[in-house]
Amino acid sequence: MPYYLLLSRSITHAQRMSRVLERAGITARFFRPPMGLTDRGCSYAVRIGEGALSPALEHLRAEGLLPMRVFYAERDGAFSEISI
Amino acid sequence: MIYFDSAATTLQKPDAVPAAVAGAIHTMTTPGRGDHPAARQAAELMLQCRTEAAEFFGVPEPDNVILTTNATHALNIAIKSLVAPGDTVVISGYEHNAVTRPLHAIGGVSVRIVNGRLFDPEQMAEGFRRAVDRDVRAVICTHMSNVFGYVLPIDEIASVCRERGVPLVVDASQSAGVRPVNLERWGAAYVAMPGHKGLYGPQGTGLLLCGAGQEPSSLLEGGTGSLSRQQEMPAFLPDRLEAGTQNVHGAAGLLAGLRFVRGMGVERIARQEGDVLAVLARGLRKRGRYRVFDGGESSVLSVVPLDTDPETLADRLAERGVAVRAGLHCAPLAHTTAGTAETGTLRFSASVFNTPEEAERVLAML
Repeated sequence: MPYYLLLSRSITHAQRMSRVLERAGITARFFRPPMGLTDRGCSYAVRIGEGALSPALEHLRAEGLLPMRVFYAERDGAFSEISI
Repeated sequence: MIYFDSAATTLQKPDAVPAAVAGAIHTMTTPGRGDHPAARQAAELMLQCRTEAAEFFGVPEPDNVILTTNATHALNIAIKSLVAPGDTVVISGYEHNAVTRPLHAIGGVSVRIVNGRLFDPEQMAEGFRRAVDRDVRAVICTHMSNVFGYVLPIDEIASVCRERGVPLVVDASQSAGVRPVNLERWGAAYVAMPGHKGLYGPQGTGLLLCGAGQEPSSLLEGGTGSLSRQQEMPAFLPDRLEAGTQNVHGAAGLLAGLRFVRGMGVERIARQEGDVLAVLARGLRKRGRYRVFDGGESSVLSVVPLDTDPETLADRLAERGVAVRAGLHCAPLAHTTAGTAETGTLRFSASVFNTPEEAERVLAML
């Protein structure tokens, strides 16, 4: 299943994004994304379903918790960056 | 044992505290590194501790709650982030070595000390109004003296700092858990506190609350689980100030202690502790052999025995199962200000687990 990946600056940021989204009814598990997605080393990310990006960003913007970067994961596992 | 040394560390803890520590030891590992259940549980615990501390102490974001090893660690970060050689700072005459030694270590810092009579907050507030001008780089002030239990007029001091645009660092070592502590209301740059005193957490825990917009310097550098290719410490909190594996097991106990304090309420805790020490203060005054430093409702009571020295009396009490502390209490400046530098004092400090009956039993030994 395709999904969106919201890259965070830290685990605390990822956890807080995840909590805000889960409270809003959006399934949002945080996890360690492939390191190839960032050139800065270890990071955390939150995974959300394909149809959830727009409401997710609204909720995160309202809480001052926007992700650092957003990626779209294709069915074949390839990632493409989305501009927000 | 009758324990009256809670200004150093509270000995009796709510049952939930050791239970939380033991539970965490068996289930939680390093947060923010691995992605397995033990690491995830640890990360959840750390965020919960930050979140509840932020709510309780008026911190704008959970990220601005830094887990430290104690208040001294937190004060060192705050002071060394704000103060450089050549700067001028203002402190009260009741500061602990955890404030004065870092200032000394920085070197070349001009320190203005606001002296004032014990238990005269108006005089102290006026002293700060006179001492704080735009040349001052920071004001560093204890909320409650660890020697005398004197509650300084921190609201007024904070107001002076806000008016004059001077960053304020509050040492809440004795007040956290006993008096309202609120970073946002004060507009403080930093508030430092231990976990092991009035918050009933384990030793090895403490909190540094960082005001919005502060850019603290790291005291330690190392792994954070974030931005690993970068050699500079991350610029964002809490990672910037939390290098290395954090004390998750301690934080579990601290969170349990914090919930205990929130559940009881600081006003009720302060009243209970104040009632116990009032029994001691009244009884000691009646005996006429003690100089009693009592400012009313407080968690700390110092006395100077007139017919022996504080250390001998503390030893005598220890032999009879009473834990108190004698000496300078790592705050020689406070003794100089109060005129007790030659003798030091004998200090009784209460927790919510002390009772008036315990105070009566101690009085019977004195």
